[in-house]
Amino acid sequence: MFEFRFYEIWRSPEYVDAILNGCLTSFTLTLIGGITGFIMGLTLAIIQLPQNPAIIRLASVSYVEFIRNTPFIVQLFFVAFGLPLLLDYQWSFTTSALLAMTLNFSAYFAEVIRAGMNGVKTGQYEAAASLSLTRWQSLQYVILPQALANVLPSISSQFIFLFLTTGLISEIGVEELTWSGRFVADRTFRDFEVFIVLTVLYMLMVYIYLGGFQLIKRWAFPWWSDRR
Amino acid sequence: MSDTEAAEEKFAVEVRAMSKWYGDFRVLHDINLTVKDGERIVICGPSGSGKSTLIRCLNHLETFQQGYVSVNGHELNEGMKNVEAVRRDVGMVFQSFNLFPNLTVLDNCVLAQRKALKRSKLEAREIAMNYLERVKIPEQSDKYPTQLSGGQQQRVAIARALCMEPKIMLFDEPTSALDPEMVNEVLDTMIGLADTGMTMLCVTHEMGFAREVADRVIFMDGGVIVEENKPDEFFDNPQHNRTKTFLGQIL
Repeated sequence: MFEFRFYEIWRSPEYVDAILNGCLTSFTLTLIGGITGFIMGLTLAIIQLPQNPAIIRLASVSYVEFIRNTPFIVQLFFVAFGLPLLLDYQWSFTTSALLAMTLNFSAYFAEVIRAGMNGVKTGQYEAAASLSLTRWQSLQYVILPQALANVLPSISSQFIFLFLTTGLISEIGVEELTWSGRFVADRTFRDFEVFIVLTVLYMLMVYIYLGGFQLIKRWAFPWWSDRR
Repeated sequence: MSDTEAAEEKFAVEVRAMSKWYGDFRVLHDINLTVKDGERIVICGPSGSGKSTLIRCLNHLETFQQGYVSVNGHELNEGMKNVEAVRRDVGMVFQSFNLFPNLTVLDNCVLAQRKALKRSKLEAREIAMNYLERVKIPEQSDKYPTQLSGGQQQRVAIARALCMEPKIMLFDEPTSALDPEMVNEVLDTMIGLADTGMTMLCVTHEMGFAREVADRVIFMDGGVIVEENKPDEFFDNPQHNRTKTFLGQIL
């Protein structure tokens, strides 16, 4: 019978530190990548609106398709090892990770936001137009707020899903939570216990994010909860 | 109308030989219609007759392929640039209200004043409250649209359109989506508006309203204006068989 020995992890401050630092790194990198990815995704989605020239819409659609149909690890390696060769400029692995996450997140967010904009009733566009608002004003004050409120649940679950895949950035040596787990497991040989601890910590961070999304909902879409 | 001659020279709405197609289907067939300043027109007809499409052409929510349309002196055509200038003079009220759910009642009325007319916040709010009072709903100004009843929402929608101080108001079946007990509050608001001398084109089946308010009633069927007349003549002595059948069905 297997005997769990969690104290092998706790007894060294070095291991505890590694895990806590890993948490912090995973959490902040995903948060920053999520925000930059959201901004880029929003831009990509707006570019895809029918009023824009076909060529830039096609570019945006192609980008989103390309990212969503290739593995994250390939994108990550391209950004960390390929791009520096092409540009003849080396940046840190953390920068690579952030860049890859932004590029990756943006495509998924773009797709969700685009669907959200499609979901806003045509009557809303018509009412805005009939009040002589320009297209951009309608988008900004009428369509986008509703679209984003519509898709906030999808954005939040997409974000959580992407967060849970960020363990992959340990592959390029970024010292995030999965990396820390391996670090401790390699030294204690308590792989099972270490990854149970990681599981709990990942879940905890997911709940912190979900709490954050609740706050966003209340702060940014106060009108939403009153919807019938 | 104090000055009939001047009004005849300049029409609020002028539609000449206008036709519109959806693909091969001709929804509007050679429409001719002129509306003078301050005139109140009721347009009725069976569903699919093109009556909504017609008034939606007047603020360029729909385009037409043939003919001439001018609204308050602006000529409309398919690829026109400055649509906003036309729409500034034309308010519209929709069947499904189309209030912005993300904005309070007050902000629904303030938004376009600020962004399209560049009014100051203070002025826009003052004007909004003024019109909300006119539609008898100022106490709801801080609520969100979904917290209001259908009749209240439609009255807010009327106030929102009036805040832009349009020259012409279009009503596209404003009471069709309402519960029966709320129809009258909206009609009363519209009657009040008619009393101020507003030029109005109303697509509606409320024949009591038509009799009381309209200067002319227009009957459309199959994309054609079949008959137009003063309300009393229209209801008591319809000329065409299709009009008689239609009136027989709805009265």
